Amino acid sequence: MKKVLMGNHAASWAVKLARVQMIAAYPITPQTQIVEELSEMCGSGELKAKFLKVESEHSAMASCIAASTTGVRAFTATSANGLALMHELLHWASGARLPLVMVNVNRAMAPGWNIWADQGDSLSQRDTGWMQLYVEDNQEVLDTVLQAYTIAEKTLLPVMVCYDAFFLSHTYEPVEIPDQKTVDAWLPAHKREHILDPKNPRAFNALVMPDVYLEMRYKLEQAHEYGKTLVKEVGASFKETFGRSYSSIETIMCEDADIVLITSSSTTSPARLVLNKLRKKGMKVGLMKIRLFRPFPSEDVREALSGKQKAVVIDRNMSFGKGGIFADEIRGAISNDRKAPLVYGYVAGLGGRDITPDLVEEIVVEAYQSEEPKSLAVWKGLKP
Amino acid sequence: MTAEKPIVYKTQDQMPEIVMSEASMLWNRTGAWRYIRPLYCDKTPPCNQGCPAGNDIEGFLNLVEKEEYTKAWQLIKEENPFPRVCGRVCYHPCETACNRGQHDRAVAINILERFIGDQAPKKHKIEKLRDASGKKVAVIGAGPAGLTAAYHLARLGHSVVVYESLEKPGGILRFGIPEYRLPNEVLDDEIADVTSLGVEIKCKTQVGKDITWKDLEKFDSIFVATGVQASRKLDIENIDAKGVFAGLEFLRKVTRKDDVQLGPRTVVVGGGNTAVDAARSALRLGSRVTICYHRSQNEMPAFPEEVEEAGKEGVVFDMLSQPVRVIEDGGKVVGIEMRRTKLGEPDESGRRRPVSVPGSEYIIQATSILTAIGENSDVSFLPKEVQVKWGQIIIDEFGLSNHPGVFAGGDVALDNHNVAVAIGSGKAAALAIDSYLLGKEVKSIKDRVIIGNEGAVSVSSYLETGNAHAKNRGCKTVVSFDDININYFEKNERSKQAKLEISERASNFIEVHQGLSEQAAKKDSMRCFHCGVCTMCDNCYTYCPDIAIQQKGEKTWGYDIDFDYCKGCGVCVHECPRSAMMMEDEQ
Repeated sequence: MKKVLMGNHAASWAVKLARVQMIAAYPITPQTQIVEELSEMCGSGELKAKFLKVESEHSAMASCIAASTTGVRAFTATSANGLALMHELLHWASGARLPLVMVNVNRAMAPGWNIWADQGDSLSQRDTGWMQLYVEDNQEVLDTVLQAYTIAEKTLLPVMVCYDAFFLSHTYEPVEIPDQKTVDAWLPAHKREHILDPKNPRAFNALVMPDVYLEMRYKLEQAHEYGKTLVKEVGASFKETFGRSYSSIETIMCEDADIVLITSSSTTSPARLVLNKLRKKGMKVGLMKIRLFRPFPSEDVREALSGKQKAVVIDRNMSFGKGGIFADEIRGAISNDRKAPLVYGYVAGLGGRDITPDLVEEIVVEAYQSEEPKSLAVWKGLKP
Repeated sequence: MTAEKPIVYKTQDQMPEIVMSEASMLWNRTGAWRYIRPLYCDKTPPCNQGCPAGNDIEGFLNLVEKEEYTKAWQLIKEENPFPRVCGRVCYHPCETACNRGQHDRAVAINILERFIGDQAPKKHKIEKLRDASGKKVAVIGAGPAGLTAAYHLARLGHSVVVYESLEKPGGILRFGIPEYRLPNEVLDDEIADVTSLGVEIKCKTQVGKDITWKDLEKFDSIFVATGVQASRKLDIENIDAKGVFAGLEFLRKVTRKDDVQLGPRTVVVGGGNTAVDAARSALRLGSRVTICYHRSQNEMPAFPEEVEEAGKEGVVFDMLSQPVRVIEDGGKVVGIEMRRTKLGEPDESGRRRPVSVPGSEYIIQATSILTAIGENSDVSFLPKEVQVKWGQIIIDEFGLSNHPGVFAGGDVALDNHNVAVAIGSGKAAALAIDSYLLGKEVKSIKDRVIIGNEGAVSVSSYLETGNAHAKNRGCKTVVSFDDININYFEKNERSKQAKLEISERASNFIEVHQGLSEQAAKKDSMRCFHCGVCTMCDNCYTYCPDIAIQQKGEKTWGYDIDFDYCKGCGVCVHECPRSAMMMEDEQ
């Protein structure tokens, strides 16, 4: 079934198809429509889930943690300051190894108060132990939420699915909605060993002494390592069943490229246009979309960039005092490669400003023509 | 406790992914920490205590919420034969008591009762509660008190004869309340439920005139509920002129559809319900009407809603005025001389006393005058042995007079003259008579039978037939607004019933209030807090941090508390929205 859906409702549909059993949420623009739609699905009975209204995002995450501890499939969604309020519990969810899925609609952090697209909210949660996937269009929203449950339940890691405010959240696109039976077969009911069972209650998350904490953390990291390959496996398996392919990164015309443009989320779409245009002009440009941010697919990125002259990264985010975060991650990932390219970091589109095809082209051409990067982060589109 | 062997992880593989105890924690009986314990304890909702007729209001609201309208009607009929009547004419002290009134506005209990009554199945049967006892009871007066007593006595198996002086039963309900407030067919419908139980109503039979008190001595017990039917006479000049009517007599004529010629201008003297009913009836007969009352509108004893409607319909209020003399011409009324009053110190009723202002006399032109300054009883038929003071029969709280076997209720025995109180007194007397006939003493079970501390009596408590969740009707703890966890109740609007447009009310007696739609009734029933009565909302079950509260299964009422693990934290009690739980000290 094909439907014209806004990105937010594509997420709601995926949650319904995943037969999520518990949803707790607190409204925040631009996320609200996801849980609004879900509350209606719960209200009408088409989704048999407990919908919990809570008084804050902190409580939303706490409730999801509690629900997930009992072994049910749980979901929440948030944005920006809502996500920041969850911060402590994000560590809790990953440390307790709970396979939660959360959608974060990327929105700029306040102040200045701004509801538009900016990846700063989720990227500032990068060390909480959650997996993070950044998606490009509404179809990918639906598909990735479904995949996220498989990934979460196999790694026992919470997974955050991130997409840009308004560019996806409120924009309508045709979305293929798989039928329930197919989804049920691909994503069967979730069972795991260590759950809170009132008939046989265990003590959870008690004091851990230094003699085991290190190992517990090591296991968390191993789960992330496993996640890197699992994302690719799940993407392949998804293609087999549903026909659409996903991986940790996507490379387009990179094989013969001298210069590789690197994007994430909705910025990838104008980049695809620009790529074709520049190729026609005879520039050997490639495009890399980073879909998986945590765990960072360092090996895949290093391999794809090895031997290239330049990597141009567009970041709709800023680690203040350093630079664009994707650029920084890429520099880290390729730093031990002797054939690594120069990395040109560009910061653009913060707080929802458009990253137009013209701007993308300007960035690529500028990097193409300059001998070496002017600085770690060049801000584009600034008023004089 | 045996010493547990510590678990030592030597390799990563031995360790689980998550921090979780290897063994069950059931050994840790946290109940041992408890020094206070929760318990489920239904209490008395303030509406139930506030209902003079002893209705289980919380109970019927619960049933409306579940769309079980027939069950709701049956529940009312256990206590009160007159839901359709009360739903129209009761002054609803339940709503004054309703805790929701302190949140937004009281639940619309009165019109919900009407809704339930009007929803009753057309073909229904009132069940008797006991087999025939062989005992006979005489009831004097077929008003609300007498008919209520007859209804309950008949249900309890006694044979009842009601003697009524007028041509039809109903008393004040038929002959005092105009049809635009209470249609005759509604009254007839509910009286039919009384006679369907075998109650015999002998109309046009006045005790003391058509039959004697002695004739009644063949009965095992007598209930006197003759009401107050003689209008108090205004002692002023020319009061016997043509065109002066006593309010109650006038209303009686209207009910009988007698030809009453009021002329174009009517003055009503008085401020009670009879005055307002007479004024609004006169208006419908085509006269212009002024109500003259010697205090201000604040002190009027009439129901404020009725006063408001009268004003909207065009009745003029001339407050702070007292009658001086009737002005006549050729024996016919042409006007009334009034004098201004001002309010003085409060009297024993708490209302400010009217004080005449000398020299302030003025004249109102009138073609007729209706006097409604109160009514007196006529108890001349009673034998000397039955003690009477100021025309009022002296009774105890269950209606027993000083004379064994003789009981009384309603207006002839009470200060508070209104329908719901009369119904409550008829029921109390019925229970007292039943006990008397069975050789028992109702006062010995007073605590169980009286709802809350000051409420009416309950038949279901008397018979101990209350259903599981209403078995605690006698509980003396009445839930206050502070006991309610209002976090669980959003503020919302109270339902309103439709009313006849003012323009549609002229020259007819069509009922003004038109009741609630099903949707509005259901919506308003959902506003009920259910003060002190468990509705199985699952809050206690949801919030118990020790999973010590367990559901009993789908069709079983209530919850079990596992005291092995309940550590007495009290979260369940705190989160109970309606104070249906409490904590008590451990023994």
